[in-house]
Amino acid sequence: MPVISFQNLKKSYALGENTVHALRGVSLDIEAGEFVTIIGPSGSGKSTMMHILGCLDRPTEGRYLLNGNDVSDLSRDELAEVRNKQIGFVFQGFNLLPRTTAAENVEVPLLYCRPVKPTAQRRAASIAALEMLGLGERTDHLPNQLSGGQQQRVAIARALVNEPTLILADEPTGNLDSKTSAEVMRTLQDLRERRGITIVLITHDAEVASYGTRTVAIRDGLIVSDVRNAGGNAVGASPRAAAIATA
Amino acid sequence: MLPVRHAIELSFKALRRNRLQTFLAMLGVTVGVGALVTSIALGRGAQDAINDQLRAAGANVIMITAGNYQVQRPEGTLGPPGHEATLRRADPNVMPASYRLNERPALRPAVWYRDATPAVWSDSGDLFPPAAAGMWKAHYEDDPNAVHDHPTAKERLGDSMAGLGAAATLTREDAEAIRTQVPGIQFATSGVHENARILLPATSSGSEKPKQWFTRLHGTESELPQIRRGWTLTHGKFLSKRHVEQAARVMVLGKWVADRLFGENVDPTGKQVVLWNQPFEVIGVVSSRIWAVQPAAGDDQFDAVYVPVSTVHELLNLSKLNSITVTTESAGETTRIAGELVKLLRERHGITDQMPDDFTVKTQAQQLLGKGLPPDLARVVAGNMQSVDTLTIEQLSQSLSRANWTMLALLAGVATVSLLVGGIGVMNVLLLSVTQRTGEVGLRIALGARRSDVATQFILEAVLLSTIGGVLGGLLGLLASSGLEKIFQWSATVSPSLVVLAVAVAGVLGAVSGAYPANRAAGLDPIQALRHE
Repeated sequence: MPVISFQNLKKSYALGENTVHALRGVSLDIEAGEFVTIIGPSGSGKSTMMHILGCLDRPTEGRYLLNGNDVSDLSRDELAEVRNKQIGFVFQGFNLLPRTTAAENVEVPLLYCRPVKPTAQRRAASIAALEMLGLGERTDHLPNQLSGGQQQRVAIARALVNEPTLILADEPTGNLDSKTSAEVMRTLQDLRERRGITIVLITHDAEVASYGTRTVAIRDGLIVSDVRNAGGNAVGASPRAAAIATA
Repeated sequence: MLPVRHAIELSFKALRRNRLQTFLAMLGVTVGVGALVTSIALGRGAQDAINDQLRAAGANVIMITAGNYQVQRPEGTLGPPGHEATLRRADPNVMPASYRLNERPALRPAVWYRDATPAVWSDSGDLFPPAAAGMWKAHYEDDPNAVHDHPTAKERLGDSMAGLGAAATLTREDAEAIRTQVPGIQFATSGVHENARILLPATSSGSEKPKQWFTRLHGTESELPQIRRGWTLTHGKFLSKRHVEQAARVMVLGKWVADRLFGENVDPTGKQVVLWNQPFEVIGVVSSRIWAVQPAAGDDQFDAVYVPVSTVHELLNLSKLNSITVTTESAGETTRIAGELVKLLRERHGITDQMPDDFTVKTQAQQLLGKGLPPDLARVVAGNMQSVDTLTIEQLSQSLSRANWTMLALLAGVATVSLLVGGIGVMNVLLLSVTQRTGEVGLRIALGARRSDVATQFILEAVLLSTIGGVLGGLLGLLASSGLEKIFQWSATVSPSLVVLAVAVAGVLGAVSGAYPANRAAGLDPIQALRHE
């Protein structure tokens, strides 16, 4: 059973008097343990796809099965629960709460997880997640006391703390320099290899896309290519992925 | 819902972020709640003061006196309902229902007073020395079949020597019945009134001459000081229930009497005085706490002595009362209750419809009206205002209350407006907070916060802000009302429940003002909100 199954997904919304067709019929299956990078230029519909994937938005048409359950028609609060339990988000801007320690930031998804775990358990889970990402020393640092790479790793720890089946990363390296970007990408690869977590990463950067095991290119609301990268570890950018991205 | 402690910490963190705005909004709530507390405290205080003053003035006192000295009304005029008695029995041969032909008057035997000295005057006015000590005292007042309808009663009514006027008809059982059978009664206390000579014997060493004072003697019960609210006990205590039960030989002196016998400001408690050749222990002194009413000779209150009614009955071999003094719980009900008392006593005394009362029920208000007015003016008042008893203090009380309510409503209006302004302040801070934290809210929604999680977080923030303001406002209100009380001599009544109310009002205010911002935050689109950084 695929973790994600898009079945002829369409999304359109009104923008002034025009109707924008952001997704025009996307079908895509992602299996457990895959590291899929979705690449496309701006305006290609990849952000819309990301929102639907992340259960932040609902498709206009078509079906979206997450872990075999149809989530296309769930209510707002039901979607919130799905996001909380099954999806871990990593954002471009890290989106850590200011004036809040790393450990407390990581704890946030646990606060919305019913039933709420006792304080000590929440704290232990958040420290374990941070340690896994090599931030055991920094649990009580505030975001502005951490480097960009460290902040993003705190964000990844937050995505992991509720043990989701899927991590959704939206341009996670967009605000980082190339060296730190590579570190973060390796961290993600590591997570997939060691913990078997499914990762979907959205980017416009072909080099970043090459870290995945599979690259899906999207343009004008349609999938234009779907390629498996052998090994999926990028020493450098895969020429094929780069070619697709620039095509 | 978030874990409570965490949610509260989060709220404080958010409030600290906009310190100045938070402070100003809190100040708004504080002022609003303070105004509310102050206005309620002052309003209640004014109401209490009005009730107190009216009660002190005796608006809730009903006097029942034995006998009926009612002035004859001209033909065709109506008195208060229930009093339109024909003064002669329709048929003089028909006895009243209470008349029991075969019952002999249960007269108690006359008592021989060994020590009493009958005074005998000669025709020329000289006092003869007593031929022999001792005198008989017989009592015919106990006759249950006494019929006060002397054929000439109509002509003689109003004369204290007429049968009706002189009748001693009230008993302690009547007082007990009033206490237990009429709802709305606060106290009912028996009274026997005599003139007496109080003697302070010479000290054993003979250093002081004996002193005496002729004054009024009231046989009464322990509740009297609670009826006479203008009284204060300068020394000792008033009669207790035990004293009355045991017919104890104890006496409370009016201040005037105490001053005459013992000298001014001397504590006479524990000393002995002599009345009717019996030693009495002085247990207290009553005086006035109202500066306008000062003890004076012959004032019947402080130029008087008080002994248990049972003691008077025992020593004088009496069984009837001269008066029963009744107070009602509320000053507004005296007229109605006075009517019920008339009904009850007529029934107890077996008075048929055709017969007039053998007692007189008057509210203190009625008595006050007659007192202190020049006689001609009093006659005008009595002649022109037949329903004057229902007008008087009861209505005064109502119109004073109404005026007070108007003032209270005005104050409450001001308080409501300031609360409203406070609420707007809270809402403003919350809207600012929602705008500033849009990104955070978007993130929390993305990470799984439900609508209710977000909404309660913001409402909690508003409630906390407002409640802190409310606590401060409650304190401010207490300070303000006690300050006004001291500075302007206004009366304010504060109670713990008022502070609880203040905090509750502030909490509700917070919840209401927080509702709109909270709803706005909860309805944010996470996609848009996340972009907002």
